[in-house]
Parts: sequence; C-alpha cells; structure tokens
Amino acid sequence: MLGSRPLIAVVLVAAIFAPTIAAQNLGALEVAGRVRVAGKLEKVSRKRFYLFRGGFEANKALVDRLRTAEYTSKDCYYCKSKASPEFIAWLKAQDCESPYCRAISEEDTKAVPEFLAAYQKGLKQFRNKPDVARTWLTTNLTPSIREGFYNQQKSSIEKLLGGTKPIQSTMTDSVSVRAIFIDIPILSDKSEKFMISNIVPAEIGGKGIVWACEVDIGSERKVTFPLQIPEPGKTARNCEVFVRDLPACTATSCDPK
Amino acid sequence: MMTQPKFIIFSFLAVLTVAALVPNLSAQRWDRFTHSSAAHKKLDCSACHKVPTVNWVGARGFPDVADYPGHASCFGCHSPRTVFVGNRPAFCGICHVNPGPRGVARLPFPHRTRSKEFSSIFPHNVHQDIIASNFIRTATPPREVRFVRASLSLVDDDKPQFNNCAICHTTVTELPKTTPRIPSGMQPLADAAADAFVPTAGFFKSMPSGHTSCFTCHYQSVEPTANQCAGCHSLTTPYAESRVFPRYSLKFDHQQKEHAMRDCMTCHVRISQNADLKAMKDADVPIMTCSTSSCHGGKILEEIGRRESSMTEKQAPFQCTYCHTPDIGRFPVPPSHLAR
Repeated sequence: MLGSRPLIAVVLVAAIFAPTIAAQNLGALEVAGRVRVAGKLEKVSRKRFYLFRGGFEANKALVDRLRTAEYTSKDCYYCKSKASPEFIAWLKAQDCESPYCRAISEEDTKAVPEFLAAYQKGLKQFRNKPDVARTWLTTNLTPSIREGFYNQQKSSIEKLLGGTKPIQSTMTDSVSVRAIFIDIPILSDKSEKFMISNIVPAEIGGKGIVWACEVDIGSERKVTFPLQIPEPGKTARNCEVFVRDLPACTATSCDPK
Repeated sequence: MMTQPKFIIFSFLAVLTVAALVPNLSAQRWDRFTHSSAAHKKLDCSACHKVPTVNWVGARGFPDVADYPGHASCFGCHSPRTVFVGNRPAFCGICHVNPGPRGVARLPFPHRTRSKEFSSIFPHNVHQDIIASNFIRTATPPREVRFVRASLSLVDDDKPQFNNCAICHTTVTELPKTTPRIPSGMQPLADAAADAFVPTAGFFKSMPSGHTSCFTCHYQSVEPTANQCAGCHSLTTPYAESRVFPRYSLKFDHQQKEHAMRDCMTCHVRISQNADLKAMKDADVPIMTCSTSSCHGGKILEEIGRRESSMTEKQAPFQCTYCHTPDIGRFPVPPSHLAR
C-alpha cells in the first residue's frame, strides 16, 4: 500500500501543474539563409542548425570548441577515400555531399567508375535486372564512398557538442532557404536568450563557414534572424562567424594545402 | 432454489456444453497467426522469414520478402496432429487459399486486410541529413513554354523535382477516401454549411507501403539491412490499417503550381527534426507556415476577422472555407491561428 503512495502523489502534483504546463510560453525562430560570400549571393540551403538554450555566455565552452575545430573538407575527405576524379566531379556538379543526394542516371553509371563497378556487381547479384542494379546501386558502393562523409560529419558534431544538448535542430529548405524552429519553450515571461549554430562548416562559395549566433526569442511573435558573413576585419551583429578557406585537395595531393 | 436432481442434471449439461466447446476453442487458436505469442517472440525473424523469398522475380521484380515462411518454420514446433483439425484445417488457412493436401496456392503476402502487428521505425531527420543537397532539378531543362488547352502556360513537367520527400511520398493516382480531422477538445459552433468541394487525386501524397523504397538503399550494407527486420519493424498492439486520409485542410492542393515549386520542408518545417514516426501526429504543417506567408496570410486573417465579426454581431458563425471544408471551418478558431 505504501508503495503506491508516491505514485498517487506524482499524479496529484502532475494534475495540479498540468494547466501551467499546457500554458507554457512557446516561441518561434526563422533563420534566413541567404548570405553574401565575396560579393556573391549564396544560399545556405539544406544545412542543419542547432538551437541551444542560453546565449554566448552560457555556451562559451561550445563556442570555444567551434573556434578551434579542425575540419576535413568534402573534397579532401573524398580525395583521401581514393574516390575517382569522376566521382568527385559528379558530387560537385550538384553540390552533393553523398551519392544519395540525387538520382544516378544511366549516363552517370557509365561515366563514374565507382558507379559502374557497383552496377556490374548488382547485375550479377540481382539476376541480371538492370533496373534493380541501377536503382539499388548504392547498396553495392564501398562504405567510405557511400556514407563515410556523413559519418565523419556526424562524429565531428558529436565531438564538438561534447555533451551539450541542443533543444532542437532543423534544416534550411532549398527554396525559401529558411530553417524554422517552432514550439520553443520560453521559460521567462518576456524573452530569453538562445544560441544557434550549424556546428560543422557549411561549404559555401569555396569557404567553410560556421555560425554561432545569439538571439532573443519571446512568445509574442516569430523572430526572423538573417545569417550574415561580415566583411573581412568586421564583425557580424550578435554572431561569431568562423570563416575558413577550404583547403585545396586535388587528385594528385590529398593533403590540405 | 434448485432441487438436487435438477442441480445434478444442470451441472451435467453444463459440463457437456463446456466439453463440446473445448475442441472449437482449441481450433480457434489456430485460425490466425500472431507474432506476439510468447513462443514466436523468442524466435529471430530469420528463423522463419527468408530474404529474398524464391518467388521475388515474379511477385515484385526486386528481391523482397514476397511469400509466407515455408512449412519447416511452422512444423518445427507445431505437431500436425495438433493443428490439423477438420477437413479444412484453420491452421493451414493462415497462409493457404484452399487448405488441404492439394491446396498449394498461398494468399497474397502480406495479407493487407489482416490486422497489422508492427509499427514502423523511421527517423526522418537522419534521412534528411544524408540526402542533403543544394540542387533542385527542373524536369525539362531548359524551361519551355507550350500551349496547353489553347492557353499559354507552363506545363506540369516544369515543376521542379526535389530529391528528398518525393523519393518515398509520391502523388497518388486515385482519389483516396478522406475524413475531416476533428480538432480535439473542441465543439462545433454550428452545423456544417453545404459545400460541394471535391479534391482531386493530385492533392494527396502516398505513404510508403512495403519494402520498395526502403530496400533501394537498405537491402544490404546500410543498416538496418533487409535481414535486420527489427531495425524498422516494432511489434505493437494489433491495429487495422486505415486507407482513409484525415484532413484539417482538405482544400490544400500539393500540385498547385506555387506549392509544387516549393521544397516540402518549406511547409513541413518539423520533418527534419523528427527522429521517430510515433512522435508524428500527422504530416505536421504548422499553420504558421501559411498564416505568416505573403501568399495566404491576408486571406486567413480576413476569414478570422469575419468569424469574429459574426460572433460579435450575434449572427450565425462565419464558417471558414478558404482552407477548410465546413466540417472543420465551423469550429472555433484555435489559438495557433492567431499567433504571429
């Protein structure tokens, strides 16, 4: 009998606080991702952004890690993975990070050695069915080519977060180029400081860019926050922007220069 | 009060009745298969299911689990003497069209009208990350203008193709059954006004069914693979799969030009956050994506204003029809619609 008392107490407390929980203030944030890189307007599309409670002060350790982080660019990763120049060119043609980013056409299969090898393996495996061999082509690619870069990014993110838990994460879309965070619990009556960051560099216009920006969010209305890249020697308002020149990795040398 | 002889006769009849029912009860146990029995749950999926089944070429055209497990899977544990009850044993009817020694033909696999025993595990967030790309492909580059029904307009195949959600969610070809998604905890303000609105099939997107889209990437090498059933299928309380599409805003047309030009994530803003299908209540388009847009914001505000006026003037409540059919448009305006 005694054992059920704590449970009853929890239920009662929950019942008392239920209206408070339901009436929690919720905020919304729209991160607008059109930026100017070297005078050219670029889209930060299909990139993941993370939302952290608290501003720079509360997330100082994370910002410090972002400032000093090392990064292996997409080109260097695939170069080190011994991807063929044709495969790298195929990725670059449509700004892809992995072979999953677009459909692999019949022409692509003929032109990219990795695709051709996977296709031929699939033909043997799937009873000479060309459609299956081509549409299931990625299942016969080597892991480093297929999901290696994604896994590298994932492990970099985990390492950089170092146990810091974002309260939400979402991606920018490819048309309106916005990342929208909604139903953000606001613990104060007015507004509260949050930090947004993409954690790993977005490769845009030949640069690797990481944003860490502080933003006030209240429950009154959706906050719109435009990302920006400051001119050299200047700073962006409420943002630490870490811009790195992407190392040049070519087929002849995969060591960053 | 029953006399003693009567009690004895009654008891005897009761025992006889129960005894007569016992074989039937026993037979009923064999007329359906459940994955959730204690004995079945102990088994690994691959103890019974083979991937692919030998009939895949004809049944699917791609390597798939397209048939029931073989006899060895059943009779490894179940004795024929126990389960072969009657001329057409119910046990055999689980898989076979005509139970009997010559009834080789099997029912379609999976049997769509039977209760589902598994829910799906699918992290949208991971999939959105790995297919990330900046590129939008227009189906017929370069864009061209053609005469369509004697008017100058952009043809349908000029709509951009996004290499994300459409991989699994395609436009349906037949108009599905729909039902109004009644807002929970709300009472309608009036009876629904007459409305002859009928959507077309193009309004709706499909949900993946079967392994077709999953196996494209997960058949082998990328976990969960075709042999790791539990990576995607989670045993749950049996449920009947509904083919009816519940809708708040039946009037939303996915194929409308301005909608089709947009990336799905423009409106399905939370999809890249979703790590668990079970946490999704629905397709999850927050009203904010429409009500704060330059396209629909004004019209939505106007309808909300008309509702408020009708209530203030104690007239019949204005029923919102811009997005909703009256089944939904007659309900109170929810707080979400008022947030800016």
